Amino acid sequence: MRSRLLISLAGLMLVFCYFAITTNGTSVNSPGRGTRLTLESGSSEWTAFLASRKAVPLGTMLFEEGDNKGIGQSLVGFFGRLGDSTWSAGLHESRYAYDFIESIHVWTLCLFFGLAVMFDLRLLGWAMRDVPVAELARRLLPWTVAGFVIMVISGSLLFYAIPLRSFQSIFFRIKMIMLLLAGLNVLIFHSGIYQRVETWSLDAKPPRAARVAAAFSLVLWIGIVLSGRMIAYNWFDCDRQPQPAIVNFLTNCVPDGSGN
Amino acid sequence: MSLLALFHWFEQTAIGNTIRQSHWLFPVIEAVHLLGLGFVGGEVLLVDLGLLGLGMGRKSVAQLSKDVGPWLIGSLAVMFATGIPLFLSESIKCYYSFAFWVKMGALFSVILFTFTVQRRVIRMPTARPWQFRFTALVSLILWSAVGWGGRWIGFS
Repeated sequence: MRSRLLISLAGLMLVFCYFAITTNGTSVNSPGRGTRLTLESGSSEWTAFLASRKAVPLGTMLFEEGDNKGIGQSLVGFFGRLGDSTWSAGLHESRYAYDFIESIHVWTLCLFFGLAVMFDLRLLGWAMRDVPVAELARRLLPWTVAGFVIMVISGSLLFYAIPLRSFQSIFFRIKMIMLLLAGLNVLIFHSGIYQRVETWSLDAKPPRAARVAAAFSLVLWIGIVLSGRMIAYNWFDCDRQPQPAIVNFLTNCVPDGSGN
Repeated sequence: MSLLALFHWFEQTAIGNTIRQSHWLFPVIEAVHLLGLGFVGGEVLLVDLGLLGLGMGRKSVAQLSKDVGPWLIGSLAVMFATGIPLFLSESIKCYYSFAFWVKMGALFSVILFTFTVQRRVIRMPTARPWQFRFTALVSLILWSAVGWGGRWIGFS
């Protein structure tokens, strides 16, 4: 009962957050990648430095003030400026660093996704039926945790290298939503049926609640891998118009001259 | 017929043409291929970490590898079923890709190694710890080469 309440609450929060992000405000002058600042006559060298595209210091990436912009467009502006920072551009344009980090991200898939899936298969009673669940969990957990940490670090770097495009990617958003749901699933599993694991650890086919959690986990992680792979493709990108209105709405895209 | 001519022929097959002409076939097949990688990785790591004595108890490795066996074969079948069409759609590119040949070499060695040497060592009642560790290391290094090779085909 408690877990159902938790699920519906989290679902509502998720929907709310998404629509908070997709509010585009009323008068939008779409600051895309590279906000264009016009230099006034007689400006000092300092303002010229601030206005230059590539040399925005990390500390100046504040949320833009003024103008009636929704959260979504503020974030678009924020990630646009993040992408213009020297480190981000450097990572994006480097010959090997980006490919290298991406390889690590893919390779760690085996460590994290592979082992998590093995545990799910055991919970479903589809593999290793005579290995005690508690023992398998105890032995696999350090590896999956390590894998997850590497995944988050390498994934954040990949996002940091191409922030605006990733933020506006529909696949990235699907991936993040599923990631949150998967996290919630773990929370429910560990605070619920797993508390009594000693009573069913030896069962070839664990109780229903555990099997349901495993099924959710399996489906969500598979979805995360699939949508993660699809981020690489630009079918629904903002700079490829025309797109269906719903796609532009869901990705905070204001088609008219939005940067790039 | 030279090898290059053979690869030209591969590229002209109906499957290769269909995939090349579609916008979404290649990405979808590739995504499933990636999923297969995750599954294979999990199964291989489970057994190899056990053999290294990191994680799984060594006694249970024989049982573990028997349990995981069908899943490994199933995942490999998915890898081949998706990998071959991907290859057919860009065989000329693969022919000139160093990463592709590294991957193929590592792939066939590791499959051979897993189903002959490693399987025999695991089931040997008198195997020494160093034999376990050795087969696990060889398997991990070769599988890593397969994974990296595969990723780097795409970067060229």
